[in-house]
Amino acid sequence: MGNQDLVTIIPWTFIAQICNLFIQMLLIKKFLFNPIREILAKRKAAADAEIMDATRAKEEAEAIKAEYEANIQNAHDKANEILTSAQKMAQQQSEQIIKDASDEAVALKAKAEADIALEKRKAVNEIKDEIGSIAMEIAGKVIEREICEEDHTKLIDEFIENVGEQA
Amino acid sequence: MEVNIVGPKIYYEIPIDIPLLGRPQISETLVVSWIVMLIITLLCIFLTRNLKVSNITKRQAFAEMLVETADKFVIGNMGEKFSYMIPFVAALFATSVLSNLISLIGLRSPTADINTEAAWAIVVFIMITAQKIKSSGFGGYLKGFTQPIPVMTPFNVLSELATPISMACRHFGNILSGVVINALIYGSLALASSALLGLIPGAVGAFLSHVPILAVGLPAVLSVYFDWFSGCMQAFIFCMLTTMYIANAAEG
Repeated sequence: MGNQDLVTIIPWTFIAQICNLFIQMLLIKKFLFNPIREILAKRKAAADAEIMDATRAKEEAEAIKAEYEANIQNAHDKANEILTSAQKMAQQQSEQIIKDASDEAVALKAKAEADIALEKRKAVNEIKDEIGSIAMEIAGKVIEREICEEDHTKLIDEFIENVGEQA
Repeated sequence: MEVNIVGPKIYYEIPIDIPLLGRPQISETLVVSWIVMLIITLLCIFLTRNLKVSNITKRQAFAEMLVETADKFVIGNMGEKFSYMIPFVAALFATSVLSNLISLIGLRSPTADINTEAAWAIVVFIMITAQKIKSSGFGGYLKGFTQPIPVMTPFNVLSELATPISMACRHFGNILSGVVINALIYGSLALASSALLGLIPGAVGAFLSHVPILAVGLPAVLSVYFDWFSGCMQAFIFCMLTTMYIANAAEG
């Protein structure tokens, strides 16, 4: 077999090379581009799905966070309310207690004054009686005779009364 | 010593004469083209084995990088609407690069045969023309040749025809020049070493003068330019021109 010329157009080789180019194109498309594109598309889908998931998770987290914040705000409000009412109640109670105490003190004082007055009157009466009997004894010794105590009680009392008034 | 630079071998010729097209023949160009196609296809299959969505292997990362580079190249030069051109340009580039580089393993590059580049250039030319007709209509396409003045028509037709011819010849010329230079270098180095070792007297010298010892080393250095650089560069230029011409044609 010989050699073809260095620079010459052989129609069959020419046509065959055109066909070869297109066959090569199809082969490259089938064996390189299609599988790689498929895998790239898959990876893109996976990445998109992951991003979607992340976005959803973030939204959920934000909703939960908002809920938490609302809850905490509520708790704060409630605590404040409780504190305020407790303070109010305590103040009322303390005022009540103070009022009660002062009332009691006033009552005690009044009672004590009444007691003192009673005691005083009692003491005065006792002293009157004592003085009456002493006077009677003295008078009896003076006039040397028995004075009927019952008869002269009224007289003596009148006398002491007068003495008291003058004193 | 004689250095012969000849075209690709013809392995088999089907002895049927078909009018206009001649006898179908299986030449070295075709066989090596099939080898190139086989290598590319096996490489694609190897790269896309066990694809995973996450935790990818280096192999898969490389395959994805290739696809993304092709996407970027075509979409960057032609725009989003030409994304259907990506496999074509990728095939063109891969075939071109591998055809150029396969000379490194001692096979004859299919791109050192003008038929290959002519085939590619004609395909590109048809695509360019199709885009022009699509963007401005058949009448507009024909009218475009008479712009800016009708006298320019022959020159416009010439420049239109020059596009595929220059594309094909640029690529072919660069690769063929590598082949020619390589043959010359190997021939001259063999001559030089036989002259050098022939100085040794007696049978030893006579034997050693047939061993082209100087051909070790220097051709490898030259191959960095003529095979690697020129091969990749021409493939890139061809694809670049393809995308540019088609994109320009679509703009009207």
